[in-house]
Amino acid sequence: MKKSDILADGFWHNNTIFTQLLGMCPLLGVTTSAENGFWMGAATVLVLIGSNLVVSLVRNVIPKNVRIPSYITIIAAFVTIVGMAMDAWMHEMYLILGLFIPLIVVNCAILGRAEAFASKNSVADAVTDALAVGLGFTFALVLLGGVRELLGQGALFGFSVFGDSYPDVLMFILPPGAFIALGFILAGINLINRRLASRAASMHAKQQTAMIPATQEAT
Amino acid sequence: MKLDKDQIRMVIALFLVAAIAAILLGLTDIATREPIAAAQKAALHQALRQVLPQHANDPQNDRITMGPADDKVDIYPARDSDGHTVGLAWEVVAPDGYSGSIHILVGVRPDERIYAIRVTEHHETPGLGDGIVKNHNWVSSFMNQSLNSKIWKVKKDGGDFDQFTGATISPRAVVKAVKSALLFFNSHKQAILGRLAVQKGVSPDQHPENNKAGTQ
Repeated sequence: MKKSDILADGFWHNNTIFTQLLGMCPLLGVTTSAENGFWMGAATVLVLIGSNLVVSLVRNVIPKNVRIPSYITIIAAFVTIVGMAMDAWMHEMYLILGLFIPLIVVNCAILGRAEAFASKNSVADAVTDALAVGLGFTFALVLLGGVRELLGQGALFGFSVFGDSYPDVLMFILPPGAFIALGFILAGINLINRRLASRAASMHAKQQTAMIPATQEAT
Repeated sequence: MKLDKDQIRMVIALFLVAAIAAILLGLTDIATREPIAAAQKAALHQALRQVLPQHANDPQNDRITMGPADDKVDIYPARDSDGHTVGLAWEVVAPDGYSGSIHILVGVRPDERIYAIRVTEHHETPGLGDGIVKNHNWVSSFMNQSLNSKIWKVKKDGGDFDQFTGATISPRAVVKAVKSALLFFNSHKQAILGRLAVQKGVSPDQHPENNKAGTQ
């Protein structure tokens, strides 16, 4: 498998949030601001890289019947390590994300990558995949967090954008706003994907008509 | 019963995964234990500086523990350069926040007036209940108040403290918890000040000024 394919797949075509709709709990829970989304994404990237790396390393050693408990143990270990490191060196962010860090363990996207990709591919491919999927997930978190922060508080990454007179639309900070914003973002992503697909299709059609002029009327 | 080869392999694999994970976690704990303690201490230091008057001592070093074993309160005293106690701070927990408990550091003067309060931990709704942290006017409305100078309720309940638009529960919880802190100080004042004086090597009835030499 080509590395660029893995990257494009993990980041966009198979994006955890936009395409697979996995990992909704951390997504909706922490994205009250772009910054929260970013650090949650960063923690997830670290866990994903660690778990994909180790799962790929041991993929031929672990018997099939016990692979799921083994993967969960590996993931839980990485999550705890990342959580402790954050508590030690990023104390304030740890207090904000607190509850959601341990919950990375049950982010099905991570077990999903271990089971669907890392356990079947080389270490280099597995790490590339972790990076792509993780960055795609972070991108989604920052996007949703940014939209909610912008609409809900008129700010982005804590910096005021619309000025003090902006009437904060609190709904976007509250849980219903998360669902509404996510819905619009998904609609936008689908629109982009459809445009890309139709452009690719028309290019394809042009190439064909150029090659076989006789079929022009048929198209 | 005899285990077949596959079963033994499964047990060994799981054992190894768990053992390695445990070792790694142990190592991480060793590496992060001190930084975590330091970070917590720094965060508390930061908060204490905001709820205590100018002081010359280290309130965390001089803390005293009051109350029964199952309900201990750490009290952080602030002393000026002469060793006078100019303020005290301790943490109260409001269990009835909108989402979970709210931890509040309350700083009072020895005359039972509040110096300042600061929320150190909460999970209130951003933009609504988190006004208990972000609404500076509201936070400073506690300054200099004592048990008798205000009715310790939010306005909706007939008291003197504002609630926020759309959020009554969080301010109500904070007001109630701060009031309980003042009541606690009111009923334990002698004991607390006495303990602080003893800690400094002075008996409670002696004036601290006579004992400057005893300052550690």
